[in-house]
Amino acid sequence: MSELRTLQSPYGLVGRDAKPRRWATLDLYPPFRLTVLLLVAAIVLLPLLATAFGGFKEVGELRTNPLGLPHVWHWENYWAILSGARYWQVLGNSLIVAAATVALTLGLSSMAAFAFAHLRFFGEQFLLTYLTLGLMFPAAAAILPLFIQVRDLGLLDSYTGVVLPQVAFSLAMATLLLRNGFRQLPSELLDAARIDGCGYIRYFLYITLPLSRPILSTVGIIAFVGSWNNYLVPLILLNSTALYPWPLGLMDYQGQYSTAWQLVLAFITLTILPAIVIFVAAQRWMVAGLTAGAVKG
Amino acid sequence: MLKPLLLGVSLCLALTGSGFATTLTAVHVETDPGERALWDRIGKDYTAQHPDITVQFQYIENEAFKAKLPTMLQSKDPPSLIFSWGGGVMLAQQQADFIRPITAAVQPFAASLVPTAAKAFQSGGDTLGVPVLMSKVAFFYNKALFAKAGVKAADIKSWDDFLAAVKTIKAAGITPIVVGAGEKWPMHFYWSYLVLREGGADILKRAKAGEDGGFTGPVFVDAGKKLQELAKLDPFQPGYQGTLHLQAAGLFGDGKGAMQLMGNWLVNTQKNNAADSKGLSDDNIGTFSFPTVAGGKGLATDALGGVNGFLVSKNAPKEAEDFLRFFSQEKYQKEAAAKGYYIPAIVGTGADVSNPVTKSVAEDLAHATALQIFFDQDLGPSVGRVVNDISVAIPAGQMTPEDGAKALQQAFDEQ
Amino acid sequence: MLVTAAVFVPPAVLLFTLFVVVPMGEAARYSFYNWNGYGVPKAFIGVKNYLQLFANATFRQAALNNLLIIVASIGIQLPLALGMALLLARREIGSVAFRMIFFLPYILADVAAGLIFRFIFDGDYGPVSSLAQQLGFGPLYMLAAPGTAFTALIIVIVWKYFGFHMMLYIAGLQGIDRSLYEAATMDGAKARQRFWHVTLPQLAPMLKLSVFFSIIGALQLFDMVIPLTGGGPFDQTHTMVSFLYSFGMGRMRIGFGSAVGVVLFAVSVLFAFGYQRLLMRHE
Repeated sequence: MSELRTLQSPYGLVGRDAKPRRWATLDLYPPFRLTVLLLVAAIVLLPLLATAFGGFKEVGELRTNPLGLPHVWHWENYWAILSGARYWQVLGNSLIVAAATVALTLGLSSMAAFAFAHLRFFGEQFLLTYLTLGLMFPAAAAILPLFIQVRDLGLLDSYTGVVLPQVAFSLAMATLLLRNGFRQLPSELLDAARIDGCGYIRYFLYITLPLSRPILSTVGIIAFVGSWNNYLVPLILLNSTALYPWPLGLMDYQGQYSTAWQLVLAFITLTILPAIVIFVAAQRWMVAGLTAGAVKG
Repeated sequence: MLKPLLLGVSLCLALTGSGFATTLTAVHVETDPGERALWDRIGKDYTAQHPDITVQFQYIENEAFKAKLPTMLQSKDPPSLIFSWGGGVMLAQQQADFIRPITAAVQPFAASLVPTAAKAFQSGGDTLGVPVLMSKVAFFYNKALFAKAGVKAADIKSWDDFLAAVKTIKAAGITPIVVGAGEKWPMHFYWSYLVLREGGADILKRAKAGEDGGFTGPVFVDAGKKLQELAKLDPFQPGYQGTLHLQAAGLFGDGKGAMQLMGNWLVNTQKNNAADSKGLSDDNIGTFSFPTVAGGKGLATDALGGVNGFLVSKNAPKEAEDFLRFFSQEKYQKEAAAKGYYIPAIVGTGADVSNPVTKSVAEDLAHATALQIFFDQDLGPSVGRVVNDISVAIPAGQMTPEDGAKALQQAFDEQ
Repeated sequence: MLVTAAVFVPPAVLLFTLFVVVPMGEAARYSFYNWNGYGVPKAFIGVKNYLQLFANATFRQAALNNLLIIVASIGIQLPLALGMALLLARREIGSVAFRMIFFLPYILADVAAGLIFRFIFDGDYGPVSSLAQQLGFGPLYMLAAPGTAFTALIIVIVWKYFGFHMMLYIAGLQGIDRSLYEAATMDGAKARQRFWHVTLPQLAPMLKLSVFFSIIGALQLFDMVIPLTGGGPFDQTHTMVSFLYSFGMGRMRIGFGSAVGVVLFAVSVLFAFGYQRLLMRHE
């Protein structure tokens, strides 16, 4: 359980550690340690930097000056994308789909999780196991029938058609995480509330949810990142370029400008930029959310 | 219980709101900016005459288009006009009842369509589409590089001549052939032409009927062997197995290789995708037909090519057919020809083809003894893709010609 | 209580059933038909799709690739992640910054990562090829040959995911009770012995979890393959999912593709159950 505690605190992995754990680490000669770390960091960052700088170069310079700063900064590549409608449209679509996915996931899974955490009802154990099955479900395995299903519901090529399957696939993990979270709230609270005549629904709305903000944010972050980065589900279920979220928009753009790498690189840079900015601004929550979900789910 | 729930959610999310006016959406794969501008303008002209109808040409990248088409047709709001190469893919769409016959609507202007092109969109007495442009697959070569290597295109008549020319060019330190094998279909032109030259113009029809061993017959095995022969000379640009077709066009435009077997659209794509956006000048590009093979039944004048046009989807607005008539008008298609965008499938526009290279292809096409449409389209979605698979696997040594032929027959039997 | 349950549980269960369970059941049904996805499935062909699938060399290669990715995840990614975790678990100057840098690729979409590396490994314009040329080698077309293209795929997977696993290990390391080390030290254990006898056993739950995620992730890999190699050259770098997409959806063979889905499902569920029973029983 101790690793879970570390993860629950958003500061565990990225802030001040409670206590230095001298013995659990690898003691290398400090300059050597730093060299190793810098080398790995370079390997991690160079592809990203080469991409971002590549967007400022002319196509010929990509060949002659692969990793350096551009000799001349060609802002027009970025400017052309930023001043066009396409970039904003794909980001907007992603935002709409992700926001709806998060809202629905949180709504549905917190309700279900509350029932599983606090209520006794017929088939409870069965239903919980049933939902848990979803954890092992590779979304891809059923992607063709999912397409048929969404088609038969008349939801092909619509935001709804993408949001609902995404929510369905994230429900298992979300419900499990929230149920475990809700259970950790002191049970005296519920007893006291019941004695005061507070109904379950009011208890859920006014006590459980406000007290569970950390775990709700974890679930929200996982659902958001999952939706924001999703490629397969919208690929199968969307056709109109006007509805494309950014991963599809990126592939579309690349298909069209496959010979103009500098434009493709600028487009990649601009589409991953929001994720990087948010990550840097909210690293603690992002890391804690994404790893905690993995560990506790 | 469920439907209202879904409806509610969709109401919340449906921000796409279709307007009140009718919109005709036409999906296509044409990349040339000038051509697309012309098409957009035709759409606007139509709206000017019919203010309640908006026409939207939507470009989709070629590979993505082929992969998405089945799903696109099944959505609640499929595009009205669908780009098509005719053939088995179109027939599959007809069988599945996703397109509607437009025989009566086309009748008034049918005479203006080039007959061989119109035929590509007919099936069992029904007209299923309106042809827009025709293309022919041929070798396009860089005259300067041929001269440098001392090779004369006019001398390349037989497959052996061709192999000899490849050797000479390679010996001169020049990459003989550029091909976008990463997308497979550019390579399938080689295999297709070899099959055509070996087996004659009706070979696919005979193979489908199971004659002479069907797709495992000697013609198909031999085509694979010849392709292997070519690959043994290592004639392609480095990394060709990962090259995309537009990249290959750009490489040809950059002068990085002596020739390319491609549809005549290469004349434009080599410009647009060259590093300097100019590519080779028209007078530096020559063309010659795919060579004949010794003992083969096919003629040098049997052409592999394409007829591209638009089909009308099942529930498209009733104006779709009328727009196709409007679109096919001579004045627009003459302009497309004059500006060198493509070879229109409209009678009497041939003389307007301005680009000298395209013009010579158009003349070849006019005198072709047969026009076989692209194998991957003719054979339909599942079998056609196998042609593409084996066309890259055989020259790469991943598959023997015999296994390739067997794989094709198997796909045909299983479809 | 019952009323609340009757309101709270059904929406989640319904949605889950409708978009997860039913499609999987349908996949099982479609897999017995030769069906192009139009209309309704009519041509029942028994297990023929499965026979074709197992006889399909490309599918066998795709399944083998999945296995190789798992091997690489455990053999390359895990040691790298563990090494970095050991270097960064302690609070030292720069530790947090390095952790963040290493974790950064994890938040990027697989599609973007795949496309970035399509550029990095591009033979004509990519940095790797340019560097090779500047060092006197010829241009390097890594994505144009099956072996090197698959290596490229492994590199991208490790690049993108090792930081995530490192974070798991750091969390695990920070959770180890320090008194265990003190006791070991008093017993005369050297650093190496402390690693093998204290750190590794204590970290075992996290390692098992990390391997679990590696395997599930490898089985579902798709987004990265499409932009990086598209499954090529000659379909040698497919995974089961990209095979399913290209050969099921792309060729309108819904029945055949569904058979792939069923196999993938069976493998995933068998693995998940087996793994949990055998290795994760006590947690």
